Amino acid sequence: MSEYKLNRLETTKLIGNIVDKHWASLRHAKENGEKVAWCSGPVFAFPYAMDMKCHFMAGYSSYAGGRGAAQQLLEIAEEDGELIDSCSYHKLHMGMAAAMRKNIPVRKDVILPLPDLLISGRLCPEMSHYAEGLYRKMGVRVTGVDVPPPHQKSEIKYFEKYVERQIRESLIPALEDVCGKPFNYDRLTEILITLKETAILRNECWEYLKLKPSPWTLWDYGVSIAPVFYLMGSPEAVPYYNKLKAELADRAAKKIAALEPEKSRVYWDGWLPWAFLGKFSRIMCKLGMVPLVGRYPWEFFPHPETIDTEGDPVVSFVKQVYSNGGQAKDNMPSLNLPVIQNWIEDYNIDGLIMFSSKSCRMWNLGHNDFIAAIERQNGIPGVVIEGDMVDTRMNSFAQIETRLEALAEMIEARKG
Amino acid sequence: MKQRALNQCMEISGDPYGYLKKWKQNNNKKIISCFAMNIPEEIIHAAGLLPVIAWRSNESVSIGHSRVASFNCGLTRSFIDDVLKEKLNFLDGVVINRMCLQAQGIPFILEQNTKWANIIYMSLPALYDSDCIHDFFKSELDRLIIAMEKCSGNKITTEKIINSIEIYNHNRKLLSDIYEIRRNNIGIISAREILSIVHSSMIMPKEENNKLLLEVIEELNLKVAEGNPKSGIPVVIYGSLCQTPHPELLDLIENIGMVVVDDDIFIGSRYFVNSLNVSDNPIESMANRYFSHIPPCPTKGDYKSNWSAYISDIMNKNKAKAVITLMIKYCPPHMCAYPDDQITFEKKGIPEIMLEVEHEIISLEQVRTRLQSFVEIIGGI
Repeated sequence: MSEYKLNRLETTKLIGNIVDKHWASLRHAKENGEKVAWCSGPVFAFPYAMDMKCHFMAGYSSYAGGRGAAQQLLEIAEEDGELIDSCSYHKLHMGMAAAMRKNIPVRKDVILPLPDLLISGRLCPEMSHYAEGLYRKMGVRVTGVDVPPPHQKSEIKYFEKYVERQIRESLIPALEDVCGKPFNYDRLTEILITLKETAILRNECWEYLKLKPSPWTLWDYGVSIAPVFYLMGSPEAVPYYNKLKAELADRAAKKIAALEPEKSRVYWDGWLPWAFLGKFSRIMCKLGMVPLVGRYPWEFFPHPETIDTEGDPVVSFVKQVYSNGGQAKDNMPSLNLPVIQNWIEDYNIDGLIMFSSKSCRMWNLGHNDFIAAIERQNGIPGVVIEGDMVDTRMNSFAQIETRLEALAEMIEARKG
Repeated sequence: MKQRALNQCMEISGDPYGYLKKWKQNNNKKIISCFAMNIPEEIIHAAGLLPVIAWRSNESVSIGHSRVASFNCGLTRSFIDDVLKEKLNFLDGVVINRMCLQAQGIPFILEQNTKWANIIYMSLPALYDSDCIHDFFKSELDRLIIAMEKCSGNKITTEKIINSIEIYNHNRKLLSDIYEIRRNNIGIISAREILSIVHSSMIMPKEENNKLLLEVIEELNLKVAEGNPKSGIPVVIYGSLCQTPHPELLDLIENIGMVVVDDDIFIGSRYFVNSLNVSDNPIESMANRYFSHIPPCPTKGDYKSNWSAYISDIMNKNKAKAVITLMIKYCPPHMCAYPDDQITFEKKGIPEIMLEVEHEIISLEQVRTRLQSFVEIIGGI
């Protein structure tokens, strides 16, 4: 029996029903006469503002992974000609498209309706490949928004203007055309108001991750991301985070740790392994290791106090992607390194886990240099582990466990 | 037969390190690596710098794997490997285009591991329909101009860019002429030789390469007069984005009953098709070329492109009987585009075989067996 005890949160048990409801509403949209969009990148708030039901590429992939449907969709895609080394998020969608085209039965809860519009938000180049593939297979109208990540601070404003202009000149006219009505700027503002309130609460929850021992983990936050991202503006978002905050306050008061005893505190870089959170949790629990902070989970509106709900909502939204943190800025290592080095202090981090996805190179390049630079400045060790977010075949848990054991030993040795 | 110029192309392609080190010693000019596709070299040239296309190293990756995982493409891994082995110390910088996630991640590694003062990252846009995409492309070029002026200390004027475009267009024309000679005289030159000719153009100053290519053309014309070209089933090779295919693989294709009559690979026709218009507005000319969809490029977010149709046209033009896809392992843009191309080839009844290509030497015997079967299927030996 393990010497460590994991105390699960009650609030996170609610998230399953909330996300199920979202994907069910998308599944039934056509029956209700609603328009449907599929979207990659961070611009799904715009179809939401038009009361469209909208899918979000990475959100759907994590949902399919979490629901255990990913492997089937990946295999359908490969039977349809996709290559095994392609981005697994891309391939999941090609699998869904093949299932639709060939009437292959898949799990009901991950079925997607044929979209009226494909939105290609090109935050990473692979996100455009997904729209290209679907366009070729389904012939659905595409509108694109190029969202380049900046490498230098001087690029941030410049890219911001570029993205804002694309939204005004391409995305909004396409949405108006598909929906047959003017763009609803007021609704976009309402979404931002709810997002602001939700993300401020989320930031208050983040503060509890700094406690030692911490009352919750990065995995708990991982399953709670949807209300601050693809469920933005939904009525469930604020109540969820209010409840979570109350539970964390209660735990903090009673000094209840997420993992007892908390032996080491780690930083997690890269995607979260959506389909394998349980497996990773079990391995890390055995080592007394608690994941607390990471670049990817922190990219969802980290400075919500800056969301301007009085001014132009398009400008306000784009600033959240660039100037005020957010997806575009936060996945660039050149700008991230000092941020992570500060987190090491703020969250009392003992070691680094760099999760290197074999099918997505969004975060991978630079992992070893991150470890070297942080080890130099902060004196803590790190390891790179290789795997995939949703594809079972790309994760060797025996190897992953050995590397995490090695990290635990290095941490212990450094602590003396 | 005399083939001094062709041999020189093969020497330069075989050892770009030696050639460039010597060139720098003799010319005392800065060299800028371009990583890798779609970078407007003319701007770098107009600054008085030598732009060279990043190449796949001539040895296996070793120390590079301490910085880049094995599941990245060969060009990325070997470029970083070369950097860490200090084989590229003669470079004065690099211009990187955001064509894939691997290119997106490289600047940070270079910042951490080189002393290069010029690590320039360009975010050339996707080919989406919008005026602002065109404007952004042009503003990215403006940024490159500023960076290259700073790097060289030279002012880049419109006249200088026009002059560079003319020199580059001449190079494109000469390469195109060489392809035309091959088209009209199938088997007169091997795929390995063609590869080295195009590669020499990516390494040498274009002015010198133009002279060399004129000599190559003379040599080829003599060879045509002599006759006795190699025969075989005419095939087109395509793919191999950014990365040099193994010359041994090209030899294998041509040694078992096929002959490469044309290609759509980067170290091939993709590098030089589609010349620029020479106009008073060279930046606009560059934009027109970038947005022209020729050649179709899966790194450009171009959902309307039809790569397989483009390949079909090349096949028809060359009366080719089959197509060989060279798939660079861990090249996401091509990996994502390929399945639909494969289906189209099948629908059109075009015989096609896909060969997955790594930086490290592949098992040629397995490939030989697959190619031999393919030759039998398409009615060869």
